[in-house]
Amino acid sequence: MNSETVISQAPVSAPAQKAEQRNHFKEKFTPYGFLMPYFIIYGVFGIFPVFFMIYLSFHLWNPVEGLGSMEFVGLENYVLGLTDPTLWQTMWNTLVMAILSGVPQHLFALPLAYFLVMLGSRARHWLTTAYFLPYITSTVAVSMIFYVMYSKDSGIFNAVLLYLSEAPLTAWILSGIKESLPLGWVQENSLIRYSVSFVVWWKYVGFNTVIYTAGLATISQDLYEAAKIDGANNWQRFRHVSLPLLQPFIFFGVTLTIIGNMNLFDEPFVLTVGGQFAQTNGKTISNYLYQVAWQWLDMGSAAAISWILFVVIGIFTAIYFYLFGRKGLGGE
Amino acid sequence: MKAHLKAGITALSLITATAFAADIRIDGFPDYDTQINAIKDGLSQHNVTMLKNNHGDHHNKLKTNLATGTGAGDVVLIDVGFVGSFVNAGGFVDLTKFYKDMAGDYASYAVAAGKGNDGAQYAVPVDLGPGVMYYRRDYMEDMGFDLDEVMTDWDTYIDYGRKLKEKGILLIGDAGALANAYYRFNTKEGEGLYFDADGKSLVTSERFVRAFEIAKEVRDGGMDGQISEWTEDWYSGFRDGKFATQMSGAWLLGHLKNWIAPDTAGLWGVSNLPAGTYGSWGGSYLAIPKQAKNPEASWDLIEYMISEDIQLAGFKNIAAFPAHTGTYNDASFEEPIEFLRGQKARMLFAEIVDNVAPVTPMKGDLIAEDLINQALEKVLNDGEDIKKALNDVEKQLKRRVR
Amino acid sequence: MTQSQATFIVNLYHKAGKLVVYIFLGLFAFITIFPFVWSAILATHDRSTMFARGISFALGDKIAQNYSNLLELMDFWTGMLNSLSISVIGTSFSLIFCSMAGYALATYKFKGRNAIFGVMVGSMMIPPILTLIPYYMVISTLGLANTHLAVWLPFTINPFGIFLIRQYVVASVPKDILEASKLDGASEWRTYWQIVLPLLRPGLATLAIVQFVFLWNNFLNPLVVLNSPEKMVITQMLRGVQGVPNTPWGAVMLGTTISILPLIAIYMTASKQMISGLTSGAVK
Repeated sequence: MNSETVISQAPVSAPAQKAEQRNHFKEKFTPYGFLMPYFIIYGVFGIFPVFFMIYLSFHLWNPVEGLGSMEFVGLENYVLGLTDPTLWQTMWNTLVMAILSGVPQHLFALPLAYFLVMLGSRARHWLTTAYFLPYITSTVAVSMIFYVMYSKDSGIFNAVLLYLSEAPLTAWILSGIKESLPLGWVQENSLIRYSVSFVVWWKYVGFNTVIYTAGLATISQDLYEAAKIDGANNWQRFRHVSLPLLQPFIFFGVTLTIIGNMNLFDEPFVLTVGGQFAQTNGKTISNYLYQVAWQWLDMGSAAAISWILFVVIGIFTAIYFYLFGRKGLGGE
Repeated sequence: MKAHLKAGITALSLITATAFAADIRIDGFPDYDTQINAIKDGLSQHNVTMLKNNHGDHHNKLKTNLATGTGAGDVVLIDVGFVGSFVNAGGFVDLTKFYKDMAGDYASYAVAAGKGNDGAQYAVPVDLGPGVMYYRRDYMEDMGFDLDEVMTDWDTYIDYGRKLKEKGILLIGDAGALANAYYRFNTKEGEGLYFDADGKSLVTSERFVRAFEIAKEVRDGGMDGQISEWTEDWYSGFRDGKFATQMSGAWLLGHLKNWIAPDTAGLWGVSNLPAGTYGSWGGSYLAIPKQAKNPEASWDLIEYMISEDIQLAGFKNIAAFPAHTGTYNDASFEEPIEFLRGQKARMLFAEIVDNVAPVTPMKGDLIAEDLINQALEKVLNDGEDIKKALNDVEKQLKRRVR
Repeated sequence: MTQSQATFIVNLYHKAGKLVVYIFLGLFAFITIFPFVWSAILATHDRSTMFARGISFALGDKIAQNYSNLLELMDFWTGMLNSLSISVIGTSFSLIFCSMAGYALATYKFKGRNAIFGVMVGSMMIPPILTLIPYYMVISTLGLANTHLAVWLPFTINPFGIFLIRQYVVASVPKDILEASKLDGASEWRTYWQIVLPLLRPGLATLAIVQFVFLWNNFLNPLVVLNSPEKMVITQMLRGVQGVPNTPWGAVMLGTTISILPLIAIYMTASKQMISGLTSGAVK
């Protein structure tokens, strides 16, 4: 690192050498000092649950029978999980919904953030507040609102579609689906993935926009001025100034989206009323995990499934880090 | 010395337990908070509080408490759906010595369901859900149908649905409820819902095939609205008279009358299910977790809650149908119910309670229930073959129930 | 083409571009706001008028009744106060802890750095529903059951937050500033506290929002830990009344709407901080 070279350039005298040693000692241990709260709290609250779950995944355990009832079954839980068609179906559902909601999130958030920063401070303030509203509302409340809006007979979505299918100007567009109105947005296996993905997209675009706005805030205005003087237009400034400098934030945002979406639970859970509707296509792997653990009371099997999920997310994340990590993590 | 002291303290605390007021917390779900608030002053020797969470959250919290052995209330309310898996879990106090002398006063099928496989009573019934068919009297009259004629068997019931359809009225909100009712209400003595006494799966048996066929016939004939129960669409279906029948527990009556469809008073009636089947649809139990500090005082609360007067009070306060059969002799049971056009429906409910056959709770019930519902959805919505769907369930059950 | 014509066309082009931008921004604002407007409308109705069919934006007149219903159903303001104190304390601590860890991971090279980073990213992938039981075991072993500490302390080292701060440090704290500070003889801690933290303002503001929102909306952990009514948080209370089929939706919607307000307030404050990073442009 730079600092070492700077220090070693100083003329070497006896007290300076001592000071250097002290510095060296400090240099070595300061990072651990800064990480101390993390080590302590993670050690107490994080390590134990992880080991408990590893231990659990090799046992058959019904939680309501208490801790004493665990029974060692070896790899049986993993075998059961890996050969379970429902697990692969739900894994696929999760992946589809992750892509359907994740990709548009960032495609919307980047331009939104870029445009927002160009606006006057007042308009920007109110607009970001509006965009951010969905994120700060509890998922359960959001899903409840959408559940009401998706409602088959009394929901606003169907009411609007029905109105449009009868209005003279728009009737021809909707003539194809007029027969099947009202649509069971959360009841039909064919629609549920879109319905869930829309809510997820809606909820997190604002969050990503805020990440990118704050990221743009770290870019010095001088760079834009310089680009302007060089004759770069808006798009070129976005493409060649903002985008490269936003890379750590895009990397951060996309990593969160991958991990968050693969763990998707609340939205499909509430929209399908605890997994009662559209169980084939609407159930994510986290929903399945919940069902196995808390409804079927088979904690060991659920722990094994969660490690399988962990490995799958780990592989996706690792590929992503491998492809983009060098640029995204920066400062290496 | 130390041991002495400890023994002394234990003895002392035992004395305080029985002689002095105790703080008792009951963990449960709504509407029991209303009931507890209304009745807790009657149990003046103890200080009763209630921890209320919604139905699903309450049971999840209870599972965490049982798993870790800490944090549960002194008394817990348990929905009938969970009783089967809880009574054999070993986390509850054996109530046999308290309960055995009074057990005869309560609905026998419900008492039986609160027993563990070892025959000990771990949970006691506090309210029941006699299963009935709600039907629109006016539709039947307008079309010249007679109730007995419609309810003779399932075929006559479906025929009625076909006639209704010609008039643009649905037979039922969701056809799935028919399948559920059929396989739940036709169990044989000594069987479980999904498993026989030896734990062998019954899901490919005639009972399930027929249940699925009935539901499919109704769905394919366009006689149901695919309206899921307990949704706003379902409620408005009642209000607007979209469907002519609905099966549910006796407790639905209170909901219909009070808020779902008060304007339809006088248009409804209740009846047995087709082919004169009796069955139960919901209900709750009380139990004492082993972690409770003071089981004697906890029992005081349970005993109070299942006493005849309080059971009647619960019926009036929150429409919880009493488990205490002595209450059925109360004058209020003979009262005609205006909402049902003067029908003495409570007599019918009581009759059903007397006739329900006990169903043995089994280990894999929760898994089987979920899988069956999922299979039903596949059959009804996605047109999967009944035999195949049920075979898949059986395959899954063999893997999952360990 | 004359000069003026050219300017005109360029101006037109600019104006059209601006219009497109405004339409895009406005449309998206409509999409995000609409469900809230809709639920606010619902909050002024009672159930008989709430789910009437058709498209109607009329306000109901039941808001006072819904409010008194709400107070009758739960100890609403106690819950709000508990949520507020948990969120404020938890957020403050997590800002310090996460920025310390994120700063260390971004600026120092040390043994085990990659391993620690890996563990952190990895721990984001463990589904929280499954660690509920061991979490509760730890809490009750430590004697923290039914305390607010149990609800915020474990979440002060949010791996998201550490990762976020790490990325901010990489993007916005120039190495030479740290060198300069060290040459001036400032201690490591002072460098962090007086030089780095102020530079991280936009990042800290973002993290503050994320943490506050998480702690405010957290439900699963309070559910198993807090069991006396005077300790309960608002999410717990609002969910508690949803068990019955005749959920008083009007009251619940009103309660939910009110419970969002503190989040909006914290967001407005924090977003000012965030944006100020842009205008002040602390270091070039």
